[in-house]
Amino acid sequence: MTPTRETFGNIPLSSQLAFYALAAASMAVFAWGVYRRWKLWRLGTSINARDLITGSLAAVWQKIRGGAKRVAVDAGAQKRVFGHGIGTFAHVSMYVGFMALFVGTVLLEADNVLSHIHHALKFHEGAYYVAYEFTLDVLGLLFLLGTLFFLGRRLVKPPALGHRATDWYVLLGFLAIGVTGYIVEALRILWQQPTGIGAHCSPVGLWLAGVLHLDVAAARSSHFLVWWIHSFLVFGFIASIPFTRLFHFVAGPMHIFLAKNVLGAMPPVTMEEVEATGRVGPADIRHFSQQQLLSLDACMECGRCEEVCPAFATAKPLSPKRVVQDLKGAMEKTAAALAAGKEADVPPLHGTVIAPETLWSCTACSACVNTCPVRIDQLTFILTLRRHLVAEGALSGTAATALRRMQSNSNPWGLPAAERTNWTDALTPKS
Amino acid sequence: MSTPADLPAAPTVKENPSFEILYWVGCAASYDRRAQRIARAMVRLLRHAGVNFAILGKEEKCTGDSARRLGDEFLFQELATANIETLNKYNVKRIVAHCPHCVNALLKDYAQFGGHYEVVHHTQLLAELISAGKLPAVAGASAPAAAGAVTYHDPCYLARVNGIHEAPREVLNTAIGGQSLCEMKRNRANTSCCGAGGGRMWMEEDPKQRVSTQRAGEALATGAKTVATGCPFCLTMMSDGVAANGGEARVLDIAELLVERLGLNPPAAPANNAPATS
Repeated sequence: MTPTRETFGNIPLSSQLAFYALAAASMAVFAWGVYRRWKLWRLGTSINARDLITGSLAAVWQKIRGGAKRVAVDAGAQKRVFGHGIGTFAHVSMYVGFMALFVGTVLLEADNVLSHIHHALKFHEGAYYVAYEFTLDVLGLLFLLGTLFFLGRRLVKPPALGHRATDWYVLLGFLAIGVTGYIVEALRILWQQPTGIGAHCSPVGLWLAGVLHLDVAAARSSHFLVWWIHSFLVFGFIASIPFTRLFHFVAGPMHIFLAKNVLGAMPPVTMEEVEATGRVGPADIRHFSQQQLLSLDACMECGRCEEVCPAFATAKPLSPKRVVQDLKGAMEKTAAALAAGKEADVPPLHGTVIAPETLWSCTACSACVNTCPVRIDQLTFILTLRRHLVAEGALSGTAATALRRMQSNSNPWGLPAAERTNWTDALTPKS
Repeated sequence: MSTPADLPAAPTVKENPSFEILYWVGCAASYDRRAQRIARAMVRLLRHAGVNFAILGKEEKCTGDSARRLGDEFLFQELATANIETLNKYNVKRIVAHCPHCVNALLKDYAQFGGHYEVVHHTQLLAELISAGKLPAVAGASAPAAAGAVTYHDPCYLARVNGIHEAPREVLNTAIGGQSLCEMKRNRANTSCCGAGGGRMWMEEDPKQRVSTQRAGEALATGAKTVATGCPFCLTMMSDGVAANGGEARVLDIAELLVERLGLNPPAAPANNAPATS
């Protein structure tokens, strides 16, 4: 007999219809959640996203090629996640397991739809079925392994890592999804009683079936119940994505696509811009670009930027992660104020959201930008925010003196140009 | 490509209009007594290798790196525009600078304002000259460049921001003649800052919170007797940091170490103590 299994086996039609209704509902909640964040990013100055998709096919590819490559390498191959010891291992395990289960579910549904169109289009059988079941069965363990590590890390709480109550919900939810998935499989094996390769291609499920050891009737009724529990958990998870840390599934790749960070480069300001806007540098959140605002939502608070920051390491009032999180808070407050029609409640960034001392603590060493897995440019936030302070005359002390000297003598030492070559005298000792 | 003998040791673009490479000295080596020694070492090396170079002299202005990163964009643009005009007037194509902040500004900041040049860090040019056999050791070279262990502090604007970390090591390997380098845990692209970037060079720092103290501590922990750097800001900060740690290690630019190794130091000591202007 060709190894296969019935999609929605043991599930009555009424439950199948309810399943699809709930799937649609959870995706609607997901879409609404994404839309809410997207509206926040729209507060920023335009990045002309429309330009990306205009022109011939070749022209469009030319424009999106860099971004597509970044998404493939940084997100797809997890390149920027590497270099962080066991944390990297856990993230990659979870990611590989999750993606396998996600792609597997999509393929399963594709098979289901195709087999309804024509029986001959069904592909979930034979050698494909064996490879599919085996791959998902084994990679599901990676997913659980990664989840368990991250649960453990929530208990240990490394100082650089951000913590939210929803993190527990997310990770325990993942654990429950993984475990109920295996139980559903084991119960299915118990009532379906596959033989030979059809059973052995699911080694974890087969092992669990042996442990559960139920008769066919008990397995059928428990299978139906646990299948529903598993489905509810999955729909809950889909609906939760935009409201928890899981949102990095969406914002991370989007930001990696748009972020063309070049270390050591800064965006210029023109006099025309200053005349048109009446200010230098950002003063409220709307003065950042939409891409920059999206980057605030891409932040997972993994704390890698904080760990490498020399200012943070020497107890100065700067953490690049804190800057990003504070700006994110300002974005939310600004949106709320504008929605309520209270322009006066829009928080000014300087002083209120970010203290000047925080901005002056930065050495522009670029370590934070270089290490961020989702390519957030903390440095450009900090350095452009400084522009506003300087324009307002808020810089004093020795640094202000250096700037004045650069203005008057074209060098920060404030010495005359005529003395620039004095160092050469010692090269030709007078005899 | 040798410099005619009748030209000054460091000819200006006016004195040597047929120069092939412009040596961008930068403000630190122009005015800071300690950093001036890097420029003199560079000139000795360039002349020894027979490089046809020139400096801008009093026509050089600050690149504006600190101004831009401190947030004074228009002061930066003023300086950048003036420098680009000067560089274009003398038809400069290739620039060597020993300051990573100058390298980054000339390369990345100036490109935004129409200044496009081939910019190399001095360690890149020196590595090139060494591999071309143009910097041979003088017979009976005076002294081994570095006694005891040597470590190298990667400047962030060189190693991380511009990806230049192998050239300094190649030059250093020649300069310390077969000794192996003691690497700090954080090196190359993962280097830690000296604390002077982003305009912090011009700010006062609480002695208890100095980045330089922490970083120099890491350097001294390798057991190094010599801390090599490739940036005049790092040189200042690491020197302060070594002192703050109560360390004895010498802090030197790679070019200075190479000069020692090749025995290119002037024979008479007083030459090094020429009146400085700072």
